Amino acid sequence: MASKPGSAPTTYTPTPTRKSRPPIFKDSDVDWVRPDGRGFHQCRPAFFRTGAVNAAAGSAYAEFGNTKVIVSVFGPRESKKAMMYSDVGRLNCNVSYTTFATPVRGQGSDHKEFSSMLHKALEGAIMLETFPKTTVDVFALVLESGGSDIPVVISCASLALADAGIMMYDLVAGVSVSCLGTNLVIDPILEEESCQDGNLMMTCMPSRYEVTQLTVTGEWSSAKMNEAMQLCLDACSKLATIMRSCLKEAASATQD
Amino acid sequence: MVGLSVGEKYFIQGGINQNLRSDGRKRDTYRPIFVETGVIPQANGSARVRIGTTEVIASVKAELGRPSALHPDKGKVAIFVDCSPVAEPTFEGRGGEDLSTELSVALQHCLLGGKSGAGAGIDPSSLVVAEGKVCWDLYIDGLIVSSDGNLLDALGAAIKAALSNTGIPRVHVTAAASGDEQPEVDISDEEFLQFDTSEVPVIVTLTKVGRHYIVDATSEEESQMSSAISFSINRKGHICGLTKRGGSGIDPSVISDMISVAQHISEQLITKLESEISAAEAGEDEL
Repeated sequence: MASKPGSAPTTYTPTPTRKSRPPIFKDSDVDWVRPDGRGFHQCRPAFFRTGAVNAAAGSAYAEFGNTKVIVSVFGPRESKKAMMYSDVGRLNCNVSYTTFATPVRGQGSDHKEFSSMLHKALEGAIMLETFPKTTVDVFALVLESGGSDIPVVISCASLALADAGIMMYDLVAGVSVSCLGTNLVIDPILEEESCQDGNLMMTCMPSRYEVTQLTVTGEWSSAKMNEAMQLCLDACSKLATIMRSCLKEAASATQD
Repeated sequence: MVGLSVGEKYFIQGGINQNLRSDGRKRDTYRPIFVETGVIPQANGSARVRIGTTEVIASVKAELGRPSALHPDKGKVAIFVDCSPVAEPTFEGRGGEDLSTELSVALQHCLLGGKSGAGAGIDPSSLVVAEGKVCWDLYIDGLIVSSDGNLLDALGAAIKAALSNTGIPRVHVTAAASGDEQPEVDISDEEFLQFDTSEVPVIVTLTKVGRHYIVDATSEEESQMSSAISFSINRKGHICGLTKRGGSGIDPSVISDMISVAQHISEQLITKLESEISAAEAGEDEL
């Protein structure tokens, strides 16, 4: 289980970057709090574990509050016969929801675009030229949908790829920010997502300082957009540190 | 897919570096845009948009339906894109399916705004006839007739034009029903309501080739891209949606730079597009 919120190593809450600028609102004049009692710029505690599935070449389990996902990676294995020859490897991604993942049974099938979003977020990070003629399959299963599903799936998938020993430039960490009225809330939960005015989802490779995927919905002014991007970037780099420490832990455990 | 020789690839990349592309355009110039409205009599509104040799048709159909239980005060808007194999042989079967899902999702992100409807091009609460009982469901369908790059911008423009061409019949609730009963409605065939489409955003795609980014890429240029970002920007210069294509990563500072460039280009595009749309509407009235 995840450790308590507030204990340093598993949270990846970004540090406020613009100390010079006065905050738009003070904590005293906020008339509402987040349903789970977090601050607006405070993330849920992140928990990762590799090696969740024995049959897979690599796998990872992630738990961010109520969002629970499991990702397994198979391959590199021979591409299907019908596929044309390719001198770079192929990446095949699939995101599915369990029927009990959502409050209403079977609602998860609405998210057909998640598979292609996962693919686009990961393909820039993987050294596809290291496994020509073969395919790597990434299967993600959302066990419980608790909000910010796709960023969690992407982070978990990149950890599973690392666990499988697939060559990557860097780990990919994903974070989303919701816009509620004039406020930006990071790592939104399901209730917040259902009434959000806008959403920004960013996945990046923190060591290379590159954004691999970015999607925005809702109306954003440039200033707000920049603020949200800064928040995401900072949170992503912190999240990647947690992911890296999880990999190190797993590696040192096998050595012992 | 476009098959290019090494020489042709260098020619395209070199042209972009020197700000003179293969067809004589600069990096930030669009191909000529041509708009025709009211092309499909069966639909409530339709438009055909041609950007260079890329050609798309958008149609808007309105049907009376029931609002969802979660949002009783909002109508529903759905966007679908069909990639017919007529446009390109690779669109047959799965190839077309993947592209049409990608384009549909991108358009939904770019035009429908957030969950609460903020930043949407069409105000979903204007589609309600009787709260919780009857509302209009808008079905926006895009069809790719000819594909030569920059499909998303063309589809965005076509949808904007089709919406300004749309007339939705005025509905009178004749007998107010109590409780769970559906009210009786009378659909007028003379009075039509028009949408205010000035708030509908336009989509500007910046395609990154090498170190530079270009607008309105042809399919040949798109085959050389490292990544592309589509910005949906409204008249106020606010960003209403953003999607990224292409695998390689982009530096965050480059993204901020691209946002300001896209905002500048969108101003010109909105002006250009709206004059084309009003010209097309005027031309249609004369016929």
